[in-house]
Amino acid sequence: MPLVEFRNVSYDIAGKRILSDFNLSVEAGETLVLLGRSGSGKSTALKLTNGMLFPTEGQVLVEGQSTREWDPIKLKRHIGYVIQDVGLFPHFNVARNIGLVPRLEGWIEADIERRVNHLLDKVGMPASEFRTRQPRELSGGQRQRVGVARALAADPPLLLFDEPFGALDPVTRLELQKQFLELHRDFKKTSIFVTHDVREAIRLGSRIALLVRGTVEIVSNPAEFQLAHGGEARAFLACL
Amino acid sequence: MRSDLTNDIIRLTGEHLSLVGISMALAILLGVPLGIVVARHPASRRWLLGLSSIVQTIPSLALFGFLIPIPFIGGIGTRTVIIALVLYALLPILRNTFVGILSVDPAVCDSAIAMGMTDGQLLRQVQLPLAARTIIAGIRVATVTTIGTATIAAAIGGGGLGVFIFRGVASVDTAQILAGAIPAAAIALLADGGLGWLERRLSPA
Amino acid sequence: MAGTKTFAGVVALLALCGCSKPGTNRPIRVGSKNFTEQVVLGEIVAQHLEHRLHRSVERSLNLGGTLLAHQALLSGQIDLYPEYTGTALAAVLKDSIETDPSSVLARVRSEYDRRFHADWLDPLGIDDTFAMVVNGPQARAQHLETLTDASKAPDAWTLGVGYEFEQRADGLPALEKTYSLRWKAAPKTMDLGLLYKAMEQGQVTMIAANSTDGMLSKMDLKVLRDDRHAFPPYQVCIVARQDTMRETPGLRETLLELSGKFTNQQMQNLNFQVDAQHRPVAQVAAEFLRQAGLN
Repeated sequence: MPLVEFRNVSYDIAGKRILSDFNLSVEAGETLVLLGRSGSGKSTALKLTNGMLFPTEGQVLVEGQSTREWDPIKLKRHIGYVIQDVGLFPHFNVARNIGLVPRLEGWIEADIERRVNHLLDKVGMPASEFRTRQPRELSGGQRQRVGVARALAADPPLLLFDEPFGALDPVTRLELQKQFLELHRDFKKTSIFVTHDVREAIRLGSRIALLVRGTVEIVSNPAEFQLAHGGEARAFLACL
Repeated sequence: MRSDLTNDIIRLTGEHLSLVGISMALAILLGVPLGIVVARHPASRRWLLGLSSIVQTIPSLALFGFLIPIPFIGGIGTRTVIIALVLYALLPILRNTFVGILSVDPAVCDSAIAMGMTDGQLLRQVQLPLAARTIIAGIRVATVTTIGTATIAAAIGGGGLGVFIFRGVASVDTAQILAGAIPAAAIALLADGGLGWLERRLSPA
Repeated sequence: MAGTKTFAGVVALLALCGCSKPGTNRPIRVGSKNFTEQVVLGEIVAQHLEHRLHRSVERSLNLGGTLLAHQALLSGQIDLYPEYTGTALAAVLKDSIETDPSSVLARVRSEYDRRFHADWLDPLGIDDTFAMVVNGPQARAQHLETLTDASKAPDAWTLGVGYEFEQRADGLPALEKTYSLRWKAAPKTMDLGLLYKAMEQGQVTMIAANSTDGMLSKMDLKVLRDDRHAFPPYQVCIVARQDTMRETPGLRETLLELSGKFTNQQMQNLNFQVDAQHRPVAQVAAEFLRQAGLN
C-alpha cells in the first residue's frame, strides 16, 4: 500500500483551479520529488498531504485513510514539515525548537534531551555547542539544519519538504543536499520533496513527478527523466 | 480644622491610583481576549474595532455625562468613572493585541500548525509570547491616557487628583491645581517608564 | 486728499478694534458662574439689556467658579455678573463673616468701589444661602430641624459638596467652626448639579446645596436651619465695572430696573423649571421678563 495517495484530486481557491485531476502515489521509503515552475501547485500538494488544506474534489489518502477522516492534530504530528523560511520559534533556543513535537506528545524530558542531542549531531551541529543557541545567532544553513532536525524529532514516518534549500547559497545548498541523502540513508524515511531546481531533483529524488499547471505530466526515476521528451521536461532539462 | 494639604494629596493620590488600577485591570481582562477573538475571526474585526473607535471619539466628560442616567451601571461616583475609563482603555489594548498576534511571522505560525499544535497551544506558546511586546505597548498607552482622563472623575464625585484641579480652577488657586496636576503627571511618567522597561525586556528575537 | 483718506482709514481701523471703549457700540459682556441659578440670572440680565438698550450683548455664562468670574470682571473680559454678598465677603475679600445683611452689603460695596472700581447695584431680592440638606424621611424620623440637631444625630454624616465649599472660609470651615457635625469620611466632591443625584443614590447623606435650588421642591428633602448663623447672608446683586457704566448711557438705570423684582420663591421656581422640567434657559428668562412687565 502506498504511504500517500492522491486520487483524482482537484483543488480550487478564490475561483482559481490550482490542481486538477491530480493522481500520484508515494511508496514507503522513497524520496518523491515534485518538480515544477512557480504556481504549478507543488506546495498545495504538500499541504493537501498533511491536512493543512483539503481537496475540492477527490481524496488524499495517508496510510490508506482519507485526510478528512484523520484526526487533524494526529495527522500533522505524524508528518514532519520543513519549509524554506524554516519558521523556527525565535523565542525558543535550538533545543526547545527541535524538541517541540516530542514535548507536545508528552515524551519524558530525558528522552527528549537524548533525541535532540542525537539529531543535532546527525545534522552536523555538535549538541554541546548548539543546544542553547538562539535562532537569530545561526546562519541560514544552520537554521535549516535545525529545521530538519525538528521535523525528524518525533520520528514521523513521512517528511514533507517545501523548497527547503531555496534561500541558501549554492555551496551551503550542496552541503545540505548531501546531508539530506545521508539522513535518508540512516533514517529510512519517506519524503515528498518540492523544488523548482532540476539539478536538485535529479540529485535527491528516487522518483521525479513533473507538475505542469496543476497536473502530473510525467513520473519517472532520475535516469529516465533525463531522456524525457515532453515540452516541460525538455524546458527543465535545458537548465541542467 | 481642614486636613493638611499633604494628607489630602496622599488620600486623593490613593483614590486616583485605585481608579486607574481597577480600570486598567478590567480593560486588560476584557481587551486582550477580545483582541484574540478579533485576530481569529476577521468577520468580527469591523464591528468590534468600530465600536471601540466610536467610544474613543466621545469626549471624556461627555461619556461620563451619558453614563450617569443609565440605571445599574450609571449614577454618580466611582463605578460610573471606572466603566467610562474601561471603555476608553479598550481600544488601544484590543487593537495592539490583534495587531501583535497578526504580526507574528507567518512562517512561524505555519510551522507551528504543521507540527500539530492545537489552536490553544499556538496561542499560548507562540502567538501571545511573540505579541507580548506589542500588547504591553498598547497597555502602556492606555494606562498613561487613563491616568489623565481619571482627573475628570472629580466632576462626577469619583474622587482622585482631579478634585484639586477642579477646586483650583473654581477658586483660581494655582497651588491647588498643581497639587493635582503634579502627582498625576508623576504617576503617568512612572507608568510610562515602568511599562516601557517591561516592553523592552520582552523583546524576543 | 490722501491725508483725509488715511485719517478716515485709521479711524475705521480703531473703531473695528476689539479693545475699543464701551461707548462706541462694542457689545456689553454679561457673565455668570456655572450653576443653574447663575446662568438663569445671567440670561435674564442679558435679555433685559438687549430689549432696553438695543445693544448687542455677549454672554460668558458658565464661568467655572467665583474667583474665575471675579478675575474676568477685573480684567474686563466681562462687564458685569450676578454675585452674592456673603460670597464676595468671604471668598473674594477674605473678610471675617458677619450676619447682618445690610452691613455685609455696605462692606462689600465700599471695598469693591475702593479696590476694584466696581459697583454693587441694589439687591435683586434673592437671598440664596448655603443650604445643608438631608433626606426628608431621615429628618422626620430623627426630628431634625436645625444643624444643631444634626450634630447630635446618632450616625455620622457623609457630605457631598461642590468644588468651592471645602476651601471657602464661608463654607466647610464656617460650618465646622459653628457646629460639631460628625463625618464618616472626607467629603465627596462633584459638580454642583450632581449633588441631588448623589443624594438620591444614597452616595451621600448630606449635601451643601443652595437654598433656592430647584430640585429642593422635586425631592423629599429637608433644609436644616442654620440656627447658630454659621453662614453670612447671600443677597444677589449685579456687580458691574464702573467704567462700563460711565461709558454706556442708560446701563445703570436699566440694571436697576431689575432690583427688587425677585423673591426666593420665584428664583426657586425658575431653577426648578430648568433643572427638573428641563426647559431651555432662554425661554425661562424671556417668560420671567414678560411676567415682570419688563419687556
